Amino acid sequence: MRRRDLLAGTAAALAAPRLARAQGGAAARTLRFVPQGNLANADPIWTTTTLARNHGLMVYDTLFGLDAQHRPRPQMAASHEVSADGLVHTVVLRSGLKFHDGEPVRAADCVASVARWSRRDVLGQRLQALLDGMRAKDDTAFEIALKRPWPGLAWALGKPSANICAIMPERVAETDPFRQITDYTGSGPFRFRADQWVPGSLAAYERFGDYVPRDEPADFLAGGKQVHFDRVEWRVMPDPATAAAAMQANEADWWEQPLADLLPLLRRNRDIAIEVVNTAGALGMLRFNHLHPPFDNPAVRRAVFPAMDQRAFMQAALGEDPALWTVPAGAFTPGTPLANDAGLEVLTGPRSADAAKRALAAAGYRGEPVVLLSPSDLQTQSALCEVAADTLRRIGMRVDLQVMDWGTLVQRRAKREAPAQGGWNAFCTTWEGLDVSVPGSHQPIRGNGLEGWIGWATSERREALREASFDAADPETARRIAEDIQRVVWDEAPFVPLGLLRPPQAFRRALTGIVKGGPPLFWNVRRT
Amino acid sequence: MFAYIVRRVLATIPVMAIVALFVFSLLYIAPGDPAAVIAGDQATPDDVERIRQSLGLDRPFLVRFGEWVFRIVRGDLGVSIFTNLPVSTMIAQRVQPTLSLMVLTLILAVSIAVPMGVVAAWRQGTLVDRAVMGFAVLGFSVPVFVVGYVLAYIFALELDWLPVQGYTSLDQGFFPWLENLILPSIALGGVYIALIARITRATMLEVLQQDYIRTARAKGAGQGSILFLHALKNAAVPIVTVIGIGVALLIGGAVVTESVFAIPGLGRLTVDAILRRDYPVIQGVILLFSFVYVLVNLLIDILYTLIDPRIRY
Repeated sequence: MRRRDLLAGTAAALAAPRLARAQGGAAARTLRFVPQGNLANADPIWTTTTLARNHGLMVYDTLFGLDAQHRPRPQMAASHEVSADGLVHTVVLRSGLKFHDGEPVRAADCVASVARWSRRDVLGQRLQALLDGMRAKDDTAFEIALKRPWPGLAWALGKPSANICAIMPERVAETDPFRQITDYTGSGPFRFRADQWVPGSLAAYERFGDYVPRDEPADFLAGGKQVHFDRVEWRVMPDPATAAAAMQANEADWWEQPLADLLPLLRRNRDIAIEVVNTAGALGMLRFNHLHPPFDNPAVRRAVFPAMDQRAFMQAALGEDPALWTVPAGAFTPGTPLANDAGLEVLTGPRSADAAKRALAAAGYRGEPVVLLSPSDLQTQSALCEVAADTLRRIGMRVDLQVMDWGTLVQRRAKREAPAQGGWNAFCTTWEGLDVSVPGSHQPIRGNGLEGWIGWATSERREALREASFDAADPETARRIAEDIQRVVWDEAPFVPLGLLRPPQAFRRALTGIVKGGPPLFWNVRRT
Repeated sequence: MFAYIVRRVLATIPVMAIVALFVFSLLYIAPGDPAAVIAGDQATPDDVERIRQSLGLDRPFLVRFGEWVFRIVRGDLGVSIFTNLPVSTMIAQRVQPTLSLMVLTLILAVSIAVPMGVVAAWRQGTLVDRAVMGFAVLGFSVPVFVVGYVLAYIFALELDWLPVQGYTSLDQGFFPWLENLILPSIALGGVYIALIARITRATMLEVLQQDYIRTARAKGAGQGSILFLHALKNAAVPIVTVIGIGVALLIGGAVVTESVFAIPGLGRLTVDAILRRDYPVIQGVILLFSFVYVLVNLLIDILYTLIDPRIRY
């Protein structure tokens, strides 16, 4: 054999699989998705991670689903009746619902699943507090009896934010909610291939042939979940540059969280679309520790407001394109029903470091160091922290910016000790927009002290308003309460909203029908 | 020789025990709390504590260490805190990609670096020698990830000859397997080639000054025969030593290479586990790496006896 023939043959052999991949067939029926991170655990009740939630929405169906206007609609439920006194909710299941193992979905499965969810989720815990009893009436219907009416129950059961109320077989749902499940049988439109799961690399899902979608068009989490791919693969790519290259080389179809710096590169490729899919986005915020000086003083916390420029925070996190962020942002997610502009002047008025300095002096700030925690491995939060540090320094605070990895930071911020003993004073974070769109799941507005979210804010006013929000019988009342909460937030300053981040996603233009509004959803989307 | 091998294998036991104690202690004192990572922001302090208890993280150091050692002795590396999968399963999933990457890099590096070093020594002071040494400096100086990005840009994005990322198992065919590993191996091999080429050149320069080389030339032996049969064989011991030491470089480099090329190997597994504080996985992988390193050193020692009959244990 001549040397040239040998080289040509080798090159052809190497190219063959690439040609085969490009030619479609089974590959064309597979959606290659690059998630924002690694699916490290697959139990959406045990953990609140966004990835486990996204995985849960594929594998598990829910009793209700929110539509694009965030109204709860029956999903697995065929009907939902509430007694005249508002105390008894009766849910009848749609016929033909099956689990991935072929067993029918029974009311008893739903009762067990709601019970497991209610022990972990923040709104589920609300249900626990109000619950008078829950029972299956027969295989197709169950009822939830409450001690007090709760108009938001269907919303809570259908909300997409973690933890979702995932319906599992009774045998699985009986698992202690503080322990992981090992059986991933669901009744959602996709079946999880646990046997092919390589954490950190691949999570594979196959279309569940026996899934019965609703006979309605898809409407966010409501409506028919029509699946047009036989298989969806989550391919974990830890390096953003690699994921960008994979998109350009047609080795990936959809990238959930492209790095802002790489967007211009991706935009130059005519086969790739860059669009905001998660329109609810994530609310950035600067959280204070209420236990230690200087932020134990509400006047010091309030003094920060005049210097806070939400636009600067958003530009640092996502760049100059205003389509990728929303300012001004109040206490509730902009664009959602309870977002309002009550008292928003504290953030929209003229920005002035001098005014903040004066307010700080008047508040009695005496130059105490401010330990600001920043996660080095989360780019958005890190950018927010850099701007926060600069802003606080410009108004005369002694900022000690401490950078660490996220794993260390979550332990550090749980410490209640004084900053000099290993505690902290402030950190920047983001909350999923859907979580902070209603008072019930909005942890940062809570004022339940040491029992509450990190930062341990105490406020009877906010707790009372939150409690009242659960009883709001109509949208107007709910909105009025939200406005009151927001005014109290400006007064007590448990946190500073930094703007709504709406990072775009990248997908190949051949994909159409992507359901927008929140997390990546894999029904309705198809390849043209 | 057999007795020596047995002695060396037995000697690995205290080494591994020290490594185990070191790794466990280090993780115990290192900051980070997997329970807080799992629980997320919505969780109450009670929730976090209950998760910590369910994972057994609330128990004293000695109890946890004792249980861990007891399991290790029985060959049980435990279960990942996050995935709930046995650590041995997670390692088994990742061994083939890392092993493939390392073996291919090793073959590539040795087959390029040794001839380069030999030729550089033979042509000492010439343009060839300077080019080889220039390449070696470059190989040492340019980080693996930069080489990786450049290679991916040229050969995957611009020329579309090779894939950008991923790994195809050997079960699915030799060429698909090779296709995915060519760029990562070249990227990872750069620093290794530089190291071996430099040591080969230096050792060969020394050997080429020896009397027996002069004698070989006087007998009329050909240049190839002198370089590769007479000189290289006698220069082999330091070269083999460096190849062995370089395995540690490969392990470290694999972490970066696997990230850049999205290869699901042990390097990525380690980094992911460290970021999440998945203690059983970190401990299992570090023990494995330590064992491999000890084993490689043993193999190198045995190789000495084959290369140089004067060496006996």
